[in-house]
Amino acid sequence: MKLPRLFASTARLALWYMFGVVVGVSVLLGSAYLFTQRTMERNVDLVIETEIESLREEFRGGGVKRLVSVLEHREDDWGRLGAAYLLVDRQGTPLAGNLTSWPKTFQANGPWIEFEITLTEQGRAVDHPVRAAVVTLDGNRLLVGTDVSERQRFALRLRQLTLWCAGLTGAFMALSAWWFSRRVADRVRGVAQACESIISGDLSRRLPIGSTADEFDQLAGTVNGMLDRIEQQTAAVRVTFNSAAHDLRAPLQRVRGRLEKALAGAQAGDTTDVAVHAALEDLERVQRTLAVLLQIAQAEAGGAGMPRERVDVARMARELGELYAPEAQSRQLSLQVNAVDAAYVSGHQQLLAQLLTNLLENSIKYVPAGGHVELAVTQQQKEVTISIIDDGPGIPEPSQAAMLLPFRRLERDAAAPGSGLGLSLVAAVVRLHHGRLDLRELSPGLRVSCSFDAAAAPA
Amino acid sequence: MQILLVEDDIEAAGHLCQGLREAGYEVKHCADGAAGLAEARAARYDLLIVDRMLPLLDGLSMVGELRAGGVLAPVLVLSALGTVDDRVEGLRAGGDDYLVKPFAFAELLARVEALMRRASGDNRLVGTLRVGDLEMNLLARRVARAGRNIDLTAKEFQLLEFLMRRIGQIVTRTMLLESVWNLHFDPQTNLIDVHMSRLRQAIDRDFSPQLLHTVRGSGYCLKDPGAAA
Repeated sequence: MKLPRLFASTARLALWYMFGVVVGVSVLLGSAYLFTQRTMERNVDLVIETEIESLREEFRGGGVKRLVSVLEHREDDWGRLGAAYLLVDRQGTPLAGNLTSWPKTFQANGPWIEFEITLTEQGRAVDHPVRAAVVTLDGNRLLVGTDVSERQRFALRLRQLTLWCAGLTGAFMALSAWWFSRRVADRVRGVAQACESIISGDLSRRLPIGSTADEFDQLAGTVNGMLDRIEQQTAAVRVTFNSAAHDLRAPLQRVRGRLEKALAGAQAGDTTDVAVHAALEDLERVQRTLAVLLQIAQAEAGGAGMPRERVDVARMARELGELYAPEAQSRQLSLQVNAVDAAYVSGHQQLLAQLLTNLLENSIKYVPAGGHVELAVTQQQKEVTISIIDDGPGIPEPSQAAMLLPFRRLERDAAAPGSGLGLSLVAAVVRLHHGRLDLRELSPGLRVSCSFDAAAAPA
Repeated sequence: MQILLVEDDIEAAGHLCQGLREAGYEVKHCADGAAGLAEARAARYDLLIVDRMLPLLDGLSMVGELRAGGVLAPVLVLSALGTVDDRVEGLRAGGDDYLVKPFAFAELLARVEALMRRASGDNRLVGTLRVGDLEMNLLARRVARAGRNIDLTAKEFQLLEFLMRRIGQIVTRTMLLESVWNLHFDPQTNLIDVHMSRLRQAIDRDFSPQLLHTVRGSGYCLKDPGAAA
């Protein structure tokens, strides 16, 4: 089936599209996140730098004493502003500030350090991350920092939001990609099913048209227009066929009637009798050729509404082999039928029978006395093959394709009776059944095989 | 026996009428479908011979209307359309047999007779068929003549059964190909002759009188020696 591949192509397209959108959205949200986080950090750092600058001013104006008093004044702000101060002397003894001691462990990053302090909030110990800057003023070290837990929480939320957004976008895209490719696959499947039944002969079938007037509907509309035209032409061809058949056969019927009348007045063996019998024989030949020709034309026209049934071609081969056995014997040919017990093909019973008789008649006609003809029916898994193998003169490779066309005959056979329609009917029947025809030159001889999809055996 | 022939080809119809009258039938001829339909409704015919392509009302529609109206007389469809699907169409429309032009008059006559017999209820459901001292047991699938078993192939058995169900009727080669081999097209019909001569060897060679006869220009006939000729 071709449908899964088509489905896959839509799905692949949708998948790539989804991938692109998800990457785009992630990059967008990711950079917004990074930019916001950077800006927030810069703001915090700016506040700390400004504070340090103002404290440095105080130190310059009034020394350590002034700085200590300013810091003591500012301690009150802890909790509200979340600021942390600590001034220590050369020995590390705290002079002022709301931190009890210099942080023991911290991460240094240039002039910036980050550490955690533990506070008791509502009876529970809570760690607060602090970002701080350190300056040295005449050997004393001053630490000014701020609680960044609020900021980190915000960053975390922002990060979660970003991830959720990217994830939801991905999920939404996956869902719409699935829906889109299913929708396309459904439409394509509808079209493909309609086409299949048109190919198998139902020329009245049309492609489904939805209500949306989208590009699919436009395409279906155009194709349906094309099908209307083909159907009209086929109908016209059929009428032509029927008139041709009628116009050819009606006069033949009159000729036949006159000849039979003439025969009634003739004595057995006299010139009239001989002539009329010869004419009747010719008439029968014309009639046979005409019948085969019309049958080919009908088979080629696609067999609109061709009745299909399960045909056991193995059994058919045995029966027809039996029918032709005396004919083969009278021409001193050995005719062998090697067929499996049963091999079913879904098809036109009469046309398949005609295919077999044409193969048999061809071989029996062209294989010289003493030759061998083998009719074989085999089945390999899902394929049934009818083949005829003879050790006759064969058909040279270059002429094989031409022999499948009507009225083509090899020059060497020009004198033999026949119309050159045998193999072209075989080819038409094989085509009608979506089978495969294979001609192979043997040395000496010819092998013609026709392969069809096997049908299930009837229950 | 009354036959209605509906055929627009006047010359062909003339030949058929003449031949059928010579064979002992009464024939009425109509040249178009509408007239044929009216005639078939107005009088009771034993058999209808209807051409498929007719002016005013085509043959198959005419047969369809007759069947819908409860006319049950057997119908032989004549047609210039000869593909196997055309034949199926003809039978589905209500025809009982289908003959493609051009045909030999003998072929038509044989089929007319077969249809007449069939209509008269000569379709026995029996276990044993008998012609003279030739016996066919359909259940055991055995054939014996004068008490001696005769070995037949499956197809020879079918051929003989077909003939034994039509004692005294002419059976054409095409009829045999159609019913015994289910071939509704025209291979070399002389294929049948070889099979018939084998059958004749089996049932007639060592016995007397001869049962299986060749009818020149027509086909074969299995005759009951006891029946008045």
